[in-house]
Amino acid sequence: MISEFKVQRSGVIIFDEKRCVECRECEVACSLFHEGECNPSLSRIRIIFDDFIPRFPSAVVCKQCDWPACYYACLSLHENPAIYIDERTGARVIDENRCLGCGECARACPLMPENPVIKHKVVNGRRVYFKCDLCKDREDGPVCVEICPSGALTYIPANQRRGLK
Amino acid sequence: MTEIYGWTGKILRIDLTRKKITTVDTMKYARMYIGGVGIAARIAWEEIGPEVGPFDPENRLMIMVGPLTGTLASGSCRVEVLGVAPQQHPPCFSRSGMGGHWGPELKYAGFDGIIIQGRAEKPVYIWIDDGDVEILSAKDIWGLGTYATTKTLRSIHGDDVRVISCGPAGENLCRIAIIQTETENAAGQGGFGAVMGSKNLKAIAVRGSGGVKIARPKEFLSLCLKQSREGNSPHGPKSLREMNISGPNFRRRKCGFCLSVCSGMLWMDVQGEFLPALYTTEQMCYGFNVTSERGRIEARALVGNYGINGWEVSYGIIPWLQLCKQHNLIKEIDGMEIPAPEKPIRYLRDCAPVTPEFLAMLLRKIAYREGPIGDALADGACYAAERLFGGKGKPLLDRIYPRHAGQVEHWAGHWGPGGNIYWPMWLTTVLQWCVDTRDPASDTSHSWTSHVQRYLPKIGPYRGPIPPERIREISMKVYGDPNVLDPSVEYDPPEARAIPAIWHTDMGMVVDSLILCDSEYPRIFSSTSKDGMADIELMAKLFSACTGVDMSMNELRKAGERIFNLLRAIDVRNYGRSRRIDESTIDVGFNYPGKDDGKMLDKRKFLKLLEKYYELRGWNKESGWPTREKLEELGLKDVADELERIGRIG
Repeated sequence: MISEFKVQRSGVIIFDEKRCVECRECEVACSLFHEGECNPSLSRIRIIFDDFIPRFPSAVVCKQCDWPACYYACLSLHENPAIYIDERTGARVIDENRCLGCGECARACPLMPENPVIKHKVVNGRRVYFKCDLCKDREDGPVCVEICPSGALTYIPANQRRGLK
Repeated sequence: MTEIYGWTGKILRIDLTRKKITTVDTMKYARMYIGGVGIAARIAWEEIGPEVGPFDPENRLMIMVGPLTGTLASGSCRVEVLGVAPQQHPPCFSRSGMGGHWGPELKYAGFDGIIIQGRAEKPVYIWIDDGDVEILSAKDIWGLGTYATTKTLRSIHGDDVRVISCGPAGENLCRIAIIQTETENAAGQGGFGAVMGSKNLKAIAVRGSGGVKIARPKEFLSLCLKQSREGNSPHGPKSLREMNISGPNFRRRKCGFCLSVCSGMLWMDVQGEFLPALYTTEQMCYGFNVTSERGRIEARALVGNYGINGWEVSYGIIPWLQLCKQHNLIKEIDGMEIPAPEKPIRYLRDCAPVTPEFLAMLLRKIAYREGPIGDALADGACYAAERLFGGKGKPLLDRIYPRHAGQVEHWAGHWGPGGNIYWPMWLTTVLQWCVDTRDPASDTSHSWTSHVQRYLPKIGPYRGPIPPERIREISMKVYGDPNVLDPSVEYDPPEARAIPAIWHTDMGMVVDSLILCDSEYPRIFSSTSKDGMADIELMAKLFSACTGVDMSMNELRKAGERIFNLLRAIDVRNYGRSRRIDESTIDVGFNYPGKDDGKMLDKRKFLKLLEKYYELRGWNKESGWPTREKLEELGLKDVADELERIGRIG
């Protein structure tokens, strides 16, 4: 029964807090690539930091779970589900054209709401959800990883990913 | 209306006296003046007359961003602050920049800048939540340090708001008060924190959830990725990837929206030496000469929290006090002896370190204008020297403050702070010091000094990656003159030193208007390209892809020239700036041997450089005033008319 729902493993973006310089270039690179504008609130990755607090930065980005709750939520609710598994990268992807804006994926996500990895926006008056898709069709891999000047972000392809992360 | 890319299209105008909030159409100015410093210069020309003092309600405090602010372009986080600057001696219209995350947030909230005028009846702060702008009472934050102000406003409006504020120093109208954001970034020079204070304005908190629309996103993205791959900023060919980023109690931190190697140390939970506090604060850009490492970090936290210009204290006031002690003008403050070395102080490096106790006492006195000494020093050493010791300390300013104009010499090979720049390359920087309203080493000479120091084959002890046989060729391509980058060329031909002074100033104006970072642009050299040159068109390409307004680098540089001429015109009209004042810079400030090379400036020969500078600028050689011909060429006919009316046309 379980194997029926098992999906292929995904690649993942990992974050090294000890190498982040909080420049936020990843945020604007992401929104520029996906939305054509530089806008952190439309970014699929956010860097959280407070210079007054003695803590290393953290990143808010989808962990592309082995058992993706967002995907199952969408699958179980909709006849024509919006979330699918990208074959090449394994990314759990929301198809914006099919998304009905119900938000069940965001509610199902174990990281939410503290870490807003699934967000929503309004496109032509329609509410749609969006999340990290590992820049699935981009030849050079995730754009945030490529732009990162200090090597804080790394892309691990599915076949090199280990453990339950 | 056609879609606007890059710019948001609106500049906020807030009249604190009338509590009126309006907007100005950015696009009315954008074609001629781009944004940032450019637009602010135009507004200043129209609105700030010679009668306006720094603390008058009529002074405009302009806090500007530009079309590239908050984009992926490296170094796009910066803010330029302009107005009549109290730190300048005498006060004049000037500028100061800062990095951090506030500028992009303002852009995301939908504004290309804020013009603040008037004076609030009672202390207020401004709260900008996307398009909604409110003037709110600051009674709960007035008196707080900048750190506490930020934390308080975040507790009211949310953790994600970005804040700029002035500390007690600004409230007390210290002429060396800064506008601070977060723990490190500040508009340090000019005393604009005191301009905030004079307007009864404590802080500006912003939250923006919008974005910057990009005309050609794919092109823009690939430009930025290419830049990221190639590295090679004026900061040198190194990359952050090769650097140690963090340790147990520190991490490196950047301003934001930037790819360069330049970064500061954010110290976490450092035990104070003087106060029993745990400090989390950043150190970059400048430092204090303190007897202990922990004391140095503590000093940075104190200075940021009080909102004092630490650069001025560290490199100007303390050395000047030590000089005064050596000349028996003062021995102690509050019973604490002023530390001074045995040997006479000739350069900054000769100064003695101070104890954390002494520094903490001094900073407190400055921020709160405590006692006659604190009250005088709160205005910076140039003003203090007039009030203290019967004026006997004034000649002691000479080595530290060119022209006694309020700002410490740096990056011109003499007094000391900043970096080292060797003969004869500092002749160019000295020229820039002569004609500017502030220490030009921030926006206009930074790219020059960084480049010659880090890339040329041999300047002083440095050895950069560019092979010697390439230098004259690159020089020709960039500046149109092979001699510019050749260290064997000194005063003759004068173009060799005057051309880069103009080129980097105009480029600096472009950088300040787009707004990008002066540590990142313009880029000249590259250690990875075949010909040793960086993409000289890069800024123009970024601007064009972002805004959809296609401009070449030459066209942008023309805009930069226009902006600098306009700033000069303001200086000439309002404050009688002239060749006489320009020239006095080398009598006071550069009339002693260079710190690293021992070279002495030859006045007679240098004046030839200055004349060549005026000639190439299209300014009158006798008066140093812009000519009608030049101003009309730049599309500034109305400026020429006005200067002619008051008899100051070149």
